Amino acid sequence: MAEPLETKRAPEAGAARTLKMMSRATYIQEALLKNLFLTCAIAAVAGVALIFFFVGFRGWPVIEDPGLAAFLFGSEWSSTLGKFGIGPLVTGTLVVTIGALVFGAPLAIGTAIFLSEIATPTVRGIVRPAVELLAGVPSVVFGFFGLVIVRPFVAELTGSMGFGPLTASLILAVMIVPTIATLTEDALRSVPPGIREASYAMGATTWQTIYKVLVPAAKIGIFDAIILGMGRAIGETMAVVMVAGNAPQFFEGLGAPIATITSQIVIDMSYASGTHRTALFGLAIILFIISMGLVAIVRALSRLNAKRS
Amino acid sequence: MSGSTTLLPIAEVAGEMYGESHPGVSILVSGMGSSAGIESVSTGSSDIGTSSRELKEAEYELGLADTPVAYDAIAVIVHPDNPVRELTTLEIRSIFAGVITNWSELGGPDLEIGLVNRDEASGTREAFSKIVMGDARFDLGAVILPGTGQVRAVVSDIPGAVGYISLGFVNDDVRAVAVDGIEPSEAAVVAGDYPIQRVLHFFTHGEVSESTVAYIEYVLSPAVQDSVVRDAGFIPITAKEVHGG
Repeated sequence: MAEPLETKRAPEAGAARTLKMMSRATYIQEALLKNLFLTCAIAAVAGVALIFFFVGFRGWPVIEDPGLAAFLFGSEWSSTLGKFGIGPLVTGTLVVTIGALVFGAPLAIGTAIFLSEIATPTVRGIVRPAVELLAGVPSVVFGFFGLVIVRPFVAELTGSMGFGPLTASLILAVMIVPTIATLTEDALRSVPPGIREASYAMGATTWQTIYKVLVPAAKIGIFDAIILGMGRAIGETMAVVMVAGNAPQFFEGLGAPIATITSQIVIDMSYASGTHRTALFGLAIILFIISMGLVAIVRALSRLNAKRS
Repeated sequence: MSGSTTLLPIAEVAGEMYGESHPGVSILVSGMGSSAGIESVSTGSSDIGTSSRELKEAEYELGLADTPVAYDAIAVIVHPDNPVRELTTLEIRSIFAGVITNWSELGGPDLEIGLVNRDEASGTREAFSKIVMGDARFDLGAVILPGTGQVRAVVSDIPGAVGYISLGFVNDDVRAVAVDGIEPSEAAVVAGDYPIQRVLHFFTHGEVSESTVAYIEYVLSPAVQDSVVRDAGFIPITAKEVHGG
């Protein structure tokens, strides 16, 4: 309120002061925002660090009991017998994940190629939101779909009850399509248009351009997409619990029940205590190591990509 | 009160309801297993010890007073189209141990048996394991489902499947087989004829406080027996009077 008066009395000085005050406000605003974003970043990092240390702290004693060798190389997981060997669970995770990639990766890459190279804008306008919507479907819905629709089909095919790696892989394959498709499409689109045009100018057909030029040019990005899809498949829990059969045994066939690391954690956690609980945290450490490994691969790949281009 | 995890659904829900209608009384429930419950009531650290098993001989001397609160009976269920209507306890054990793998061995069609088991946290599994399996191990290849409803749904959907659920949860989607010639029914359970059953107990020790007596009476009242106990899949202890046992 006092300022306009002041401005009237001494316009120049007033203008300078107003300018100064404005810049201070801006400065404070800038500083506040900078700190706000810093806090956000710290919160994210702190979250990861806290989880890492907590899980590590609680899972570390597996080295003593049941013992590192018995834990890592044991072939039996049974809380009633006090045996906590993760062998069957790790192989279960591996089988289900590989299965998901075998079915899911070609489907997703095909979708991405269609979206990026073939689809007209109208078709793309329908297909892309549909694929993105797939990413938003809750996993319990996928699990239910798998239980009711896919399982009987697999049961018919394998002559079993239909709970097992095949059903789990098929469901996971659909679940990882959005991840792989979106990232692959990005990779294909980031191939410089000149390369595409050069290929067509040489008289190559669309198909020749896709598999001789575009896919090789985008292969690191596509590989990246597959790794991230793999991460999604390894971590998925709910849908797997509903269709895998959850028997902690080694792979016995496409239709025989199987358990994964995540499904075993969720089945056991409600009642585990003592060594059993420690072993579950040990399983979480294994998951952590796997996902750190995957992130490391992705980072190494993008560095490679940056160097190339 | 502390003890059996099987009794948790009854003790917890009834405890909450009792606390709401009796301000000032709070009932703390912990599930640590039947033996821990018996131990804690005899040492006085709990007012009530809950147990899903009878007292062992060594525990007779503790001088505990027994109040049965519910029956826990387990039905072995198959697909409604399965012609096998009757099994012996031994046959059931062989089925779940993975020794008998085809219904033809039991007088049924040439159809592979699909085993449906519960997760190890399940009180139903624990009871089934104790009563039926004894020292035999469950077949590792059985499908493990984490809920009664899921077991029932899967068995009702797969012609060769067999599973087990609390008798109170059996419906028309599945068929409960007769065990050792006894049809599973409330009357058979109350009469003590049905083989796969057990009684759930509240144990108290010495002089008990008024509020403890009041709570036990509340648990035995129709308000709890006909709602909470039945909702948990158990058979009310009061059914004994109805069936004249």
